[in-house]
Amino acid sequence: MNTLKPVLIVALALATAACTEVLPRQRGNLALSQMALTPDALEFSLRQHTAFSKEAASGGYGGSGGGCGCN
Amino acid sequence: MKPLKNTEKSAVVACLSLAAMALPGLMQDATAGRVEESYNADFQYGNYSESNQRINVDIFEGALSTPIGKSLTASVNLVRDTIAGASPVYNQKNANGTVKQILSGASPTSECGASICEQRDAVSSGLTYFFDAASLNVGGGFSREHDYTSRHFNTNLSLDLNKKLTTLNYGASVAFDDVEPSPSPWNSNPVGFKRSKTSQQYLLGVSQIIDKDSLLQSNMTFSYSTGYLSDPYKVVAFYDPDGPLLFGGTLYANTIKPDKRPEEKFQWAWLTQYIRHFGQLNDAALHVDYRFNTDDWGVNAHTAELGWHQPIGNGWQLIPRFRYYSQDRADFYQAVGNNLKATVYSSDYRLAGFGAISGGIKLAKEITDIKPLGQLKFQAGFEYYDHSAGYQLGGNNVGSFADFSYYLVTASFNLKF
Repeated sequence: MNTLKPVLIVALALATAACTEVLPRQRGNLALSQMALTPDALEFSLRQHTAFSKEAASGGYGGSGGGCGCN
Repeated sequence: MKPLKNTEKSAVVACLSLAAMALPGLMQDATAGRVEESYNADFQYGNYSESNQRINVDIFEGALSTPIGKSLTASVNLVRDTIAGASPVYNQKNANGTVKQILSGASPTSECGASICEQRDAVSSGLTYFFDAASLNVGGGFSREHDYTSRHFNTNLSLDLNKKLTTLNYGASVAFDDVEPSPSPWNSNPVGFKRSKTSQQYLLGVSQIIDKDSLLQSNMTFSYSTGYLSDPYKVVAFYDPDGPLLFGGTLYANTIKPDKRPEEKFQWAWLTQYIRHFGQLNDAALHVDYRFNTDDWGVNAHTAELGWHQPIGNGWQLIPRFRYYSQDRADFYQAVGNNLKATVYSSDYRLAGFGAISGGIKLAKEITDIKPLGQLKFQAGFEYYDHSAGYQLGGNNVGSFADFSYYLVTASFNLKF
């Protein structure tokens, strides 16, 4: 049981966080443009494309495009 | 441990069930349902410039999205990249053991005066259908360079749960690429050489509104590429430790072979994004991203990014940004070849161990009171990126021969009407 304790505490903490009630009328702050996951889509895709052509790692963000013969 | 009461148990079970339901997913935007009801027109200019007269790219991009009926949005995006400059081809070893990077160099007789003169044109489009608690996107695109063609198709499904506090995302995309290298001193492939590759990517993710000021998104992507994954313009110089070609104090390569990589690659990425609102700081927003990548070529990478979106009044916003990236080398990377029997090898600096630090600042101005237009937004940004072997996590002593930097300038406007 002792080994399960920390796991249960973390699970409870996560469950509590997941259950915070935020009513639609309380979501004004979340709707601000600076709170968007991608506030500037065009610049985001340009920066992703640049990183993709200069670094070995890519992915995670989704919305993939095609490849390029990038030098 | 104190036993839980029945009411506590049922609450915990309910919450754990929700958390479990959230596990398989991810998503693009925390705002559920239809996001855009207006026409959107965007234009962006970018200039990418590397140090040491290397690659310089001018980027022109336009995007348009339009609502169709009550539940559908269509979008189209056009990009033109004009590329000129030089690129690393291979590394040379000197008699004293130091390594030097060799660039493709200048070419005064070419149309742009550089060894690489290229233009990339790309078009992509998509349709998104919005249901009450879900949205489905399908799209595709095409990009063309003189020597490279790519076609891709993608789809994404977002499901809202838990009174739209939780959104699950499922995505899939596939790209079919063809390369047919142009004649070049560094392209040792025969005339008519043409190769293809196919890349698939699958995404699972979840975004969760934590409270009225913060939200979290966590995504996983699984990518599988197969086919010709080598670079036809890069070569590897081999120096045999058992039979060095040393003449007059100069070390010569025993042989030079075209870049040759495995024909399969599996990549996994796990990204977590956290966004928090600060009401007492004039509605500022903090963006924190962390991504871990690993692939079966042996590259593990960490990416961390911080952004601070600070409204400064009258529609102006200042956005400083910082990013750190670190990767270790691919198993078959060699600064210079030393095993003539190796079946896969590359000296591409992108497969080496290195780190990169970048920082930038962006200024945005939003004008909302122009009639009959809905909203106009101008943005301009500058970012400086410094690639160095020495920045790799845990250190790296391979030397600075592949270090470089670049800056990226962007300017854009967005019109909603």
